[in-house]
Amino acid sequence: MAEAWLYDGETAVRHAVEVEEAPCRLRIRFADGDTLDLGLDQLIHVESRSGHEVYGRPDMQGWRLGIPEGAVAQLAAVLPRRQRYGRLIDKVGLWPAVAACLAVSALVIFAGGKMPEWLAPHVPASWEKSYGDALVGDLGGKYCNGPGGQAALNKLALKLSPGAKDLKVRVVDIDLVNAAALPGGTIVVFEELLAEADSPDEVAGVLGHELAHVERRHVTQAMIRDLGLGLIVSAFGGNTGGSINGLLAAGYSRGSEREADRDAIAKLRAAGIDPLPTAGFFKKLADQEARLGGVAESLSYVSTHPMSGERQKAFTDSRQPGRRYQPALSRDEWEALFNICAFDPARKKAKSFNPFN
Amino acid sequence: MNEMRDMRAAHTPASAFTFTGTWREFLPIALTNLLLTVVTLGIYRFWAKARERRYLWSRTHFIDDHLEWTGTGKEMFIGFLVVMLVLLPLFLAFQFGLQALVMRGEVAAAGALTLILYGGFFYLIGVGQFRALRYRLSRTWWHGIRGGSFQPGWSYGFKFLWKMFLGYVPASLLLPWSMVSLWNDRFNEMSFGPHQIEARADTDGLFGRWLLIYLAVIVGVIGALVLGFGIGASTGSTGAGITAAILAGLGLYVIVGVASLAFYAAYYRKVVGATSFGGLGFEFTARTADWFKLILGNIALVVLTLGFGMMFVGYRNWAFFVRFMEATGEIDLDHLTQSATSATSDAEGLADAFDIGAI
Repeated sequence: MAEAWLYDGETAVRHAVEVEEAPCRLRIRFADGDTLDLGLDQLIHVESRSGHEVYGRPDMQGWRLGIPEGAVAQLAAVLPRRQRYGRLIDKVGLWPAVAACLAVSALVIFAGGKMPEWLAPHVPASWEKSYGDALVGDLGGKYCNGPGGQAALNKLALKLSPGAKDLKVRVVDIDLVNAAALPGGTIVVFEELLAEADSPDEVAGVLGHELAHVERRHVTQAMIRDLGLGLIVSAFGGNTGGSINGLLAAGYSRGSEREADRDAIAKLRAAGIDPLPTAGFFKKLADQEARLGGVAESLSYVSTHPMSGERQKAFTDSRQPGRRYQPALSRDEWEALFNICAFDPARKKAKSFNPFN
Repeated sequence: MNEMRDMRAAHTPASAFTFTGTWREFLPIALTNLLLTVVTLGIYRFWAKARERRYLWSRTHFIDDHLEWTGTGKEMFIGFLVVMLVLLPLFLAFQFGLQALVMRGEVAAAGALTLILYGGFFYLIGVGQFRALRYRLSRTWWHGIRGGSFQPGWSYGFKFLWKMFLGYVPASLLLPWSMVSLWNDRFNEMSFGPHQIEARADTDGLFGRWLLIYLAVIVGVIGALVLGFGIGASTGSTGAGITAAILAGLGLYVIVGVASLAFYAAYYRKVVGATSFGGLGFEFTARTADWFKLILGNIALVVLTLGFGMMFVGYRNWAFFVRFMEATGEIDLDHLTQSATSATSDAEGLADAFDIGAI
C-alpha cells in the first residue's frame, strides 16, 4: 500500500489515491472508496520527476499516476522505462548505435559525392536537352550569325573534337569574357571573350575545355549534384532554404575542372594548336572573373572557376619544344568569327573590329 | 486526504513558476544529443529537441506540479519531411523558372516571380510561427490537461503578411505595432484545456523604446565619425583615425544591440502581462539588464567553449524564461477540463524550415 496521486485526463483535479500491488495488476483506491484494477500491461512508464515515477495509459491521454520512487517495486521491475535516446537506439545501445550511424554516415557522404558521377552517364541525352531548352531557350534570341562566323566556329570545334556529332557551339551577344557549357550540350561563347582574345588559338583552348565538360557529362553531374546534395544536406541545419540556396551556387567539382583541362590540352596537342596563348588567356580571364554580373550568378553551374597558377602552368608545360604549330584558324576565318556579332545582319550593332590591329 | 480543487497561483511567496533543473543533470542529455546529432548528419536533432524539452518541461514547476512534454522526435522528423516534400519542389521550380527567365532576358517577369517567391515565403513564415506555437501547446501537459488551437494558422499567415508589410514600409517605424498586434492575433487563437487564451496587449510606451534604437544608430554613427576624424586629425595619422573609427563602429553595434534589447524587454513584459487564461494572469519581469546578462552569458558560453556551449543555450533560455515568468489569480481545477482541440502532429516543420521560434 502506497500513497500516490492520479490525474484522470478529463479534469485537472489531482486525486489522492492509494495503490496496492496484486499479482500482475495494480489496485488503485480512491478517497471515496472506489477502486480501479489495472493490468500491468495497461500501464506505461512515462518519466521520473520530483521523486515520483509517473505512469500513463496508452488508451487514455492525460491519465497519469504518480507513485513515490521505490514504493511499488514490482511495477518498476516489470514496466520498461520509457525511451531514452529513441526506440531504435535504446534497443541496440548508445555506443553500437553511434558506431553504426558513423559507418552509415560515412557511406552516405561518400556515395553522395560519387552519385553525380555514377548517375550522369545514365541520364538520357534527350532529358538533358529538354531541360536545357526549357532553362535556356535561345538565350532571348541573342545568338549571333554574322557571315562565315558560324562556319569558322564549327570548323574550330571539329578540329578539337574530330568526328563529334551534334556539336552545338554558338556565340551570344552578351558582354562576358567567358564560355559555358549549358545543360543539353550546347556550348556558348560570350562575345566579349572573342573581343578579348588576341588569336584563335586562345579561343581554341577555352573551347576545348568546354567541349570536355560536355563530352565527360560534367554538366549533367553538376545538375545532379545541385539537386541531390541539396536534399541530403538540408537535414544538417535548421535554415533549409538558405542551405539549398548556397548549394545551388555549387558548380563543377575541382576534379571535373582538372579533367576538362587535361582533355583540352590533349585536344590542342592532337589538333596541332599552340597551348601557350591559352595559358596567357586564362590569366586574363581570371582577372576579369570578378566582373561577372548577375547572369553568371543566376546560372551558377555554367560559370567557370577562377584560374589558378597551377592551371596556367599545365598549359604552358604542355608545349612541345620544336613542334611546328599551326594557327587554329585562317586569317579570314578568324576575322569572320571575331565579327560574328558585329556583322550579323539581324543585329543593329554598329561595332566592328579588326582583330589584327 | 482531500482533493485539492482550487489552486491559487500566488499562494507561495515565490513565483508560481520555478525551474528545478541543474546543469549537471542536463549535461549527459546535452552531450549524447550532440554526439548523436553529429553521427547522424543532423537527423537526430529532432529527437534531441524532444529529449531536451522532456527534461526542461519535467523540471518546470507551475503552482503545484511539473509540466510534461509529450512531443516525440519521430513526429517532428515527419513534420520536417512533409514540409520538405512540399517546399523543396516549389523552391526548385521557382529557382528553375527564375534562371529560365533571366536567361531569356525577361527581367521584369523574373522580378515579379521573385516578389511572389518572397511573398510566399513570408506568408509561410507566419503560418510556421502559428503552427509551432500550437504544436508546443498541444504537447505541453499540466495536471493531465493540454493546450492547443482550433485554427490551422492559414489565415494568421495572411495577417502576418500584411501587418509585417505595414510595419516595415514607413522605415520600420510601425514594427512594434505589428509585433504586438500579431502576438494578440496568435495567442487569442490558442487555448489550454477549455479556456481560450486572451491577449489584449497595446503598444503604449513601446514606441519610445523603439525610437531609442533609431537614436542609438544616429548617435553611434555620428560618434564613430567624430571619433574617427577627430583622432585622425589630432594625431595626424590616418591609421589611428581608422582604428578609432573601427572601435567606434563596434561600439555602435553594442549600443544598437542594447537599445534593441531595451525595446524587446519592454515588448515582452507588455505582451506577456496582457495575456491571461481561465482566471490566471501572467507577468514577465525580466528587465533590460536581465536580458543583457542572458545574451552576454550565452555569447561567452559559446565563445569560451569553442562552440560546444551551444548545447546549453536552449537550457539557459528556458531557465531564464521560467525564472522571470509569474502568474497571478486562481484557477478552478474542476473546470479545467481536457482540451477539445485536435492534437495535430505536423510539429514544427515549417518553423524549423525557416529557422524561427514559436515565442
